[in-house]
Amino acid sequence: MKNIKLKINNKTRELAVRDSELLIEMLRDRLGLLGTKYSCLEGDCGVCTVLLDGKNVLSCLILAADADGHEVTTIEGIAQKGVLHPLQESFVKNGAIQCGFCTPGMILAAKALLDKDPSPTDGEIASGLDGNLCRCTGYIKIIDAVRQASQRLKDGK
Amino acid sequence: MGLLKDFKYHTPVTLKEALGLLKKFNCPLVLGGGTFSLNRLKKSTKYPTDVIGLKKVSALRGIKDLKGSVSIGAMTTMAEICASGIIRKNFPSLVEACSQSATTPIRNMATIGGNVASRFFWVDLPAVLISLGAKISIAGPMDKRGLEKAASVHEFLGSKPPKKFIITKIIIPKSDCLSFYFRHTKAMPVDVPSLALAFFASLNKGRLTAVVLAVNTTVSFPVILKEAAAAMEGLRPKEVSLKSVLLALNIDAQNLRLDEYRLHCLATDLESLLGTFGTGA
Repeated sequence: MKNIKLKINNKTRELAVRDSELLIEMLRDRLGLLGTKYSCLEGDCGVCTVLLDGKNVLSCLILAADADGHEVTTIEGIAQKGVLHPLQESFVKNGAIQCGFCTPGMILAAKALLDKDPSPTDGEIASGLDGNLCRCTGYIKIIDAVRQASQRLKDGK
Repeated sequence: MGLLKDFKYHTPVTLKEALGLLKKFNCPLVLGGGTFSLNRLKKSTKYPTDVIGLKKVSALRGIKDLKGSVSIGAMTTMAEICASGIIRKNFPSLVEACSQSATTPIRNMATIGGNVASRFFWVDLPAVLISLGAKISIAGPMDKRGLEKAASVHEFLGSKPPKKFIITKIIIPKSDCLSFYFRHTKAMPVDVPSLALAFFASLNKGRLTAVVLAVNTTVSFPVILKEAAAAMEGLRPKEVSLKSVLLALNIDAQNLRLDEYRLHCLATDLESLLGTFGTGA
């Protein structure tokens, strides 16, 4: 076992994890953060996306021990005091969710993109979400949602 | 038991410590960004008892502008390379290769050292590093003086790797040069390449010198188009003739036994390349 100390959704946690435990296993099975999904487990689909120090990464390809000393944000951590993040609201308003399985990963990837580049073009939004697959929506509404959220964030609403 | 079978995970913070662990264990797995290795482990029947993670070894990270060259720590991620002003200024082809490789989250995790060490045929970076004349620095536990050995990427890939080694950095010489990277995929842009061409030439008094055309065929380690490069050597970019380059490419294709698809892709790439030179037919 390895003792690790990290920040998860702004709370400092100290945990003992198995040496071979993946970050996704720690988040879901140990901490009950079920917004991070299991799917391909090969780094192809993006449903296990989390933010590690603000960058979107795949929690199925990171050992939990490697998150020691870092800051992890999951989908449960982006709403503030019960108020949805503008990206979450925009996904709802734009109908960018169908089955919803890819949505946590999509929103986190979009957040990493907007934190880095507050005014992306549609092409840059598509590139920023290139690691996240959606089998329902066809991506158009997702891109619309990110564009509108970007506008809202810039306007400070 | 979880998704991975049990192993002991070691997280050294210095290179010396990492090399000590490498020496101590029989067949340890050295983990860089993890995007290849952890996937492999999930399916592997051959399982290590010890895994050495390099993420905490700060000496293996970062990009340094040295006199006459640029040093890229082996644990530098592809995203960090794309964002580096030093790399963007000196080696646009490397930025192009990194930015087209895989997907955003993979680029946030995958490292340049891991890309070379994986020795997969289809990865993007070896061809472009060969075209740029890059050398890799390798440290092994057997070298008592702790010295690192340097080898060209071509030499490294063309020979059997040492049994135990850690790539520490990649060193790329700087020069007044032109460099481009062209990449083909069969379906989506984020797919692995089906073919890629890396071009490099030094500019000496406005003339192309030391021209290298390295091709990632995806079925072997990168190959070099010697004849096509010779057709450009010593000329001013605008003087290069597409016709003579394509004739030379046909000879290369015969020598290297490239199939029609690859020949077609390369002809298209060379036409685009000469287009950037403002070359006529």
